[in-house]
Amino acid sequence: MIKKYLLLNLFFFTSLIFGTPLYEFDNLEDEKRFYKLIKEIRCPKCTSGSLASSNAPVSEDLKLKIVAMIKENKTDNEIKEYVIKRFGQGAVYNPNFDKKTSFLWISPFILLFLASLTFIFRKK
Amino acid sequence: MKILFRLSILLIPMSLIIFLFVYLKEDKFYPGADFRNFNTPAFELPLLDKVNTVTNKDLGDEYILNIWASWCITCLVEHPYLTQLKSKKIPIVGLNYKDEKNEAINWLQKFGNPYELIIYDYKGQFALDLGVTGAPETFLIHNDRVLVHYQGEVNEKVWKDVFKPIIEKEGLFND
Repeated sequence: MIKKYLLLNLFFFTSLIFGTPLYEFDNLEDEKRFYKLIKEIRCPKCTSGSLASSNAPVSEDLKLKIVAMIKENKTDNEIKEYVIKRFGQGAVYNPNFDKKTSFLWISPFILLFLASLTFIFRKK
Repeated sequence: MKILFRLSILLIPMSLIIFLFVYLKEDKFYPGADFRNFNTPAFELPLLDKVNTVTNKDLGDEYILNIWASWCITCLVEHPYLTQLKSKKIPIVGLNYKDEKNEAINWLQKFGNPYELIIYDYKGQFALDLGVTGAPETFLIHNDRVLVHYQGEVNEKVWKDVFKPIIEKEGLFND
């Protein structure tokens, strides 16, 4: 009976004993940062989809690179800069605010302003 | 006044579309081509057919870097054109991307080798540093700076449209 029980344990738990984590981190903080970052970075090869959702070969490489950069204590911005430099501004879901993207950020407020004008000047 | 208001319904969205078109259009847009210059990332990798490793310093001053793999079908399509470039004395460095060594060597024996030397990047880390997303991709490098990054098949048209203007401007390859 006990033998059967042990065998059953062996059957169910070997993968837990011999399994190793896919990405290794120094502490829990780093791990949380990693999972946050890969949701904010786009997969370079997909039309649209986060790095977290993708298992394309290049995404796997990029994830490993991000793990390595986190180990080197790089900040989130430095990591995002690395990605933007290589795969363009579209590689992050929150584009930086600069000359090229300013209209993208401001246009909703302009539209809101125009829409509010119609409310002010409409006929009673 | 009323006609002006009615006209504005048509004119405002139209001017917005024209504005966006002009504003968002990139100056030198060519599908697959990227002309942003950057330094070649540092690397140390083995050669495909030899045991010794190479670094940035072992590569020439001006060369074409071509990312290829034996599993890549488009690489085979552009292969004859690369051979043609080689016969024009243009140095091409190959970067074997995420490939099995034997299969890559067999591929070269079967179809011919247009490369001066071939860097073997099994893990694709150097390729990632370059901004490679797949194969084939081709770079024009001068004095350790990437001048052109092209994603996709290189053929006569792409060479003429993308690479040739920069080569002539910089006076590369004794041109």
